[in-house]
Amino acid sequence: MLTKTKTVDGAAIKKAIEGRDGKLLSSFYTDDALVRVVDRNNPPSKPREIRGRAAISIFWDDICSRAMTHKVDTTIAEGDNLAFMQACAYPDGTKVVCAAMLELKNGLIARQTVVQAWDE
Amino acid sequence: MRPIETRYARSGDVRIAYQVIGQGSFDLVFVPGFISNLDLQWEDEGYSRLLKRLSAFSRLILFDKRGTGLSDRVDTHHLPSLETRMDDVRAVMDATGSGRAAILGASEGAPMAMLFAATYPERTRALVLYGGYAHFHKWVMPPERLEAFIETAETSWGTGATLPNFAPGRVDDTHFTQWWARFERLSASPTAAAALARMNAGIDVRDMLGTISVPTYLIHRRNDARVDPDASRFLARKIPGARLVEISGRDHPIWTGDVDRVADLIEEFLTGEPAVADVERVLAALLVTRIYDTARLGDRLWSERSLRFQENWRMLVGRHGGRVAGTHGELMIARFDGPARAVRCAALLREAAQEIGVASAQGVHVGEIEVRGPPTGLTARVAMQLAAHAERGHILCSRLVAELAAGSGLHFTDAGRISLDELDEPLALVQVTAEQHLEPACRPKPKPAEPATLTARESEVVSLIADGKSNAAIAAELELSEHTVKRHVANILLKLDLPSRAAAAAFSARHAGPDGP
Repeated sequence: MLTKTKTVDGAAIKKAIEGRDGKLLSSFYTDDALVRVVDRNNPPSKPREIRGRAAISIFWDDICSRAMTHKVDTTIAEGDNLAFMQACAYPDGTKVVCAAMLELKNGLIARQTVVQAWDE
Repeated sequence: MRPIETRYARSGDVRIAYQVIGQGSFDLVFVPGFISNLDLQWEDEGYSRLLKRLSAFSRLILFDKRGTGLSDRVDTHHLPSLETRMDDVRAVMDATGSGRAAILGASEGAPMAMLFAATYPERTRALVLYGGYAHFHKWVMPPERLEAFIETAETSWGTGATLPNFAPGRVDDTHFTQWWARFERLSASPTAAAALARMNAGIDVRDMLGTISVPTYLIHRRNDARVDPDASRFLARKIPGARLVEISGRDHPIWTGDVDRVADLIEEFLTGEPAVADVERVLAALLVTRIYDTARLGDRLWSERSLRFQENWRMLVGRHGGRVAGTHGELMIARFDGPARAVRCAALLREAAQEIGVASAQGVHVGEIEVRGPPTGLTARVAMQLAAHAERGHILCSRLVAELAAGSGLHFTDAGRISLDELDEPLALVQVTAEQHLEPACRPKPKPAEPATLTARESEVVSLIADGKSNAAIAAELELSEHTVKRHVANILLKLDLPSRAAAAAFSARHAGPDGP
């Protein structure tokens, strides 16, 4: 578990995502964090918004319950901003690519915007 | 977009066909009712609408239960238990990499879904049961009615004869009844259907309801024709924390009736957020067809003719690429992508009405309509008022229709203006005129060719053909090569415009004089 004194960094995110550890991932967020997802069904003018750590925890639990592989390739950090690229694959070969931009507050994620695209 | 792929999961020795669609953050497994077919369901408007709605917020996993649709058949003498069939859900989830999913069980799929949730609570995110039940004989049909149902299935399976048992509201919809007949044929064989019905009749999961520990949501139509709503009321009492919503409607299959209402409820329960109102609007041409009785036919004859006309209406609308959008008594509304198609369809409907012996009056208007549900907005109301104003046999259109149909070859004449309460300015109207042919509709038949146009040699060949001789025999008799005879025959057929040797022989017989043709 991450202590609140330690700042979330690329290595911690990589470990949690690749290890499909939903609990650990949820602990990276502030209580009132906001995750916005933009994809085919959630266009930029109406992104899907997941508010608060409880809802974010369900979101990550759902994703981490899938028997799929995740790989975090590139992480860029600058001040309170963090960005990373993630490549995922389902057992049937379907690939998903996500780009995430994060804003940190007191070392925890306060805002995150995810843009994702699926094979279709 | 690539086509939806059908794959097969292995459950013991049996292959279970499944499809995965959607990009949502959680998985939703749909456990279908009595019978299903993964390929065919996309061809029904209501079914595909439901699946598209569900897959807009989830990763939707669909499958055909063993013994149905695209999955392996079962031995009808050794029917699998509900537990075995339930385990097919697990096998499909494993194959799709789904560790945890919301389970949607519809009708006969509900007991399976409940059993799954009780057996694998750690893999069940939530449970949604539509038109479900825990005991077949108590809430679906008693043993004696089941025997009658099985007899119907055995004697007329594949004709759509079971439809009134499931969706009585759709029996007059010929397009849907045809789809339903295919649905029967492609989902199960007659023997399998009877076996499945017997297998389902054994369902009784009342004892395990108390062990379901996942969030459960129940939906049932108040006048469900197949499963008594009391079935869901019982489930609501017995499943800890279950919530029941009763909605209006009587057609049982989850993909019939108000599909959007069902999808809204499921989405709100599973995502925790109300479904965003789908306000998508598209440009469409609406054709409103009104039929009425001018000949005082009497109720019986009128209802026969009215029904016949409606059948024609569905067929013609379909043939013109339109979609049947609803009926209000003798008022029929159809939706088209373009105005010219709507007008052409209207012209044929006018002829159909004349043939059947009913009076018709029609209105066509173009405007935006909401994608969702039957057209009820301003465009629909204007089209309906045009049909109300049109005289017998007339097709009244807004001028916009004529402007958009420019170049289509359709002819319109000015029909003044009409003031409608809802429009600020009077609406300019046109009327469709009968098609004017610059040339006579039928070309005169060309004069039959005269035998005189044949050369002497060709005449000889024709008379030998008439004698039934082959090319080789003719070649021998006329001392020519067979190749030359072939060329003569080809030239003869060309000159006389005849399709075959036999026709040439008949021609020769008709034109035979004392010295041959």
